[in-house]
Amino acid sequence: MSKFFKLLYNELFKTYIRKSTWVMYIVLLAIIIGGAVITSIFEDEIVTSYSDDNWQEELTQENEKLIQESEEEGGYIAEMNSSTISKNNFHLDNDIKPLGYGAWQYTYENASLLSLVSLFTIIIGAGIVSSEFKWGTIKLLLIRPISRTMILLTKFVAVLVFALITLIFTLLSSLLVGAIFFGFEGFDPYFVTSTINGYEHLSLVGETFSSYGYNIVNLIMMTTFAFMVSTIFRNNSLAIGLAIFLMLSGNMIVAAFQKYDFAKYILFANTDLKQYETGDVWIEGMTLGFSVTVLIVYFVLFMALSWVFFNKRDVAGH
Amino acid sequence: MSQVALELKDVKKKIGKKEIIKGINLSINQGEVYGFIGPNGAGKTTTIRMIVGLMRLTGGDVKILGKSIQSDYKLAAKNIGAIVENPELYPFMTGWQNLMHYARMYQGVTKERVEEVISLVGLEKVVNDKVGKYSLGMRQRLGIAQAILHKPALLILDEPTNGLDPAGIREIRDYIRELAVKDNVAVMISSHLLSEIELMCDRIGIIQQGEVISERAVHDESTDSQLKVIFEVKQNDKAQEVFEEKELTIEKESNKLIVKLDREDIPNVVKSLIEKDVEVYGVTPIKATLEDQFLELTGGNVIE
Repeated sequence: MSKFFKLLYNELFKTYIRKSTWVMYIVLLAIIIGGAVITSIFEDEIVTSYSDDNWQEELTQENEKLIQESEEEGGYIAEMNSSTISKNNFHLDNDIKPLGYGAWQYTYENASLLSLVSLFTIIIGAGIVSSEFKWGTIKLLLIRPISRTMILLTKFVAVLVFALITLIFTLLSSLLVGAIFFGFEGFDPYFVTSTINGYEHLSLVGETFSSYGYNIVNLIMMTTFAFMVSTIFRNNSLAIGLAIFLMLSGNMIVAAFQKYDFAKYILFANTDLKQYETGDVWIEGMTLGFSVTVLIVYFVLFMALSWVFFNKRDVAGH
Repeated sequence: MSQVALELKDVKKKIGKKEIIKGINLSINQGEVYGFIGPNGAGKTTTIRMIVGLMRLTGGDVKILGKSIQSDYKLAAKNIGAIVENPELYPFMTGWQNLMHYARMYQGVTKERVEEVISLVGLEKVVNDKVGKYSLGMRQRLGIAQAILHKPALLILDEPTNGLDPAGIREIRDYIRELAVKDNVAVMISSHLLSEIELMCDRIGIIQQGEVISERAVHDESTDSQLKVIFEVKQNDKAQEVFEEKELTIEKESNKLIVKLDREDIPNVVKSLIEKDVEVYGVTPIKATLEDQFLELTGGNVIE
C-alpha cells in the first residue's frame, strides 16, 4: 500500500470504529424502512403493477375515480388529482403501459434523503480535524515524517469517501427495502415524468442517478465549508452549526439579494445545477459554465484557507 | 562512534512581542540520556515542541542527525520518537489499533515489530482493550511504545514516569538506560521529578526563563572538588582549633561541625584531629542533591 492509501485507511478506520458513525447508518436505514412501511400502509392508491392486456381500462377507471373525488373535495386535492389524470392520459394517448410502483421508484423518491447524508457528512467533515485537537492526539499525529499537507489531504479525501459510502448505502438499501415492499421493476425500467417539455418517457435509473448527482454538488460544497471552519477554528460545533445554518438558509440568502448584481456570485445561487436542466434559472444571465466556475472558485478558496491555517499554525498547548 | 543526535543552535521563539525562548544551545550525543529540567513555565515544553516540529522556530535551527527540522522535515522527523506532554491516544481504539495506526505512518514498521514493542513495554495482556479503560501507567507505556516503534535515533520523553508505580518507574528507567546503551539511542527526558532525572540521566540541563542556565554531568564526582564534610567529634573546641589552623571555613550545626575542604585533604585532617586526641565518631561528606543544586540555581519554583 502506498503512503497515501495507508493514511486514508487510518482516517477511515478512525471514523468507522466509532459508534456514533454507525448510529448514522442505523438512522438512515430506519428512515428508509419506515418510509417504505408508511408508503405501503397509507398510500392505498399506489399500484405496484398493471396487468398486461387490461391496463388501459385500469387507468380509465382510476381517472374516473379521481374526477369524482375532485368534484367532491375540490381545492388542493383536485389540483393534485388533475396532474395525475393528465399523466394517465399521456399513457393512454401514447400507448405506454405505466410502470408500477417499485424499488427504483422508491429509490428515486429517496433522493430527498441526501440532505440527511449531507448532514452526516458535514458532521464527519467538521470533526475530522478538530477532534484530533480535542483529544490531544494531533501532537502524536504531526510528529511523523509526513507533511501536514498530506495529513490534511488524506483527511479531506476520507470525508469524501465517507460521503460516497453513505450515498451508496442509501441507494442500495432503498433499492433493497423497496424491492421487498413493492417489488423490483427490472434493471432498466422506463417511467413517465413531467419535465420542462411536458410529460416524457425516461429511464428511471438514469433519472435516479442524475437526481442523486445534483444533490452531491451541495453536499460537497457544504462539507468543504464545514471542513474549513473546523480546521480554522478547531471547533466542530461551530463548523456544524454554521454549515447547517447556511445549508438551510442558502436559498433565502440568494432571494434576499436577488435584485443586486452580485447575487449571482453567492455560492448558493450556483449549487443547484438542476436549474439549467429545467430552465428555471435563479438569476438571469447565469449559465452552467458560470456556475461551475463559481463553484470551483469557492472550493479552491475553502481548501486554500484550510491548508494555510493547518500548515502554518503552531500546535501549542491548550 | 558517538555522533551528535540532537543539536540546538541558538533556538529562539517569540510569541507576539514576548520572547519565550531566548536562544538555546545544546547537543545530545547518541547513547546519551539527557535530563531537561526547569520550573513550570520555563520553556521546556515549548522547546520540545520546536524540536519535534509542532511549533515553528523564530530563530536558530534544530538538527537531528544533522538534518534540519525546518528544511529537511521528513528526514529529521523519521529519526524522532516522542511523547509530548501527556500520552494522549485514541480512547475508542484498542492499544493494538493505536499502535498499528502509528505504524502505518512509517515505512517498514511490521506487525512483528509492533508485537515486539508491546512485549518490551509489557502490555501483552491489555493490548486488545480499549485505551479509554487504561490506567495512566498503561497509557504511559503505550505512549513509550508508539515512540519507539520505528527505532528512532532520538527519543524525547516528557514526564515518562508520571503515573507509574515504583515498580513501573524502575522498569521504564532500566528500559531507557538499555535503549541508550544497547541501541545507542539519544534520550531527552523532561521532568520535574529531580530524583528521577538523577537516576536516569548522564547529563542535565537546567532551563529557566527560556535559557539554559546550567549544564552538568550527573555522575561526575570530580566536578565539585570542594566538599562539605560533617565531623562528629567529642571535643568540638579542640577540633575547631585544628580546622582554624588549616584555615578551613567552619559552619556549626548543633554539636556537629560542617567543614568545607578538598576531598584529598580529608585523611590529613582526620590524622591531625587524632594527633590532638580528638575523639572522632564520624566523618560524612555531604553530597549536594540535584534538587538542592536546582533550587539554588533557579531560586525556587517561580512562574514568570
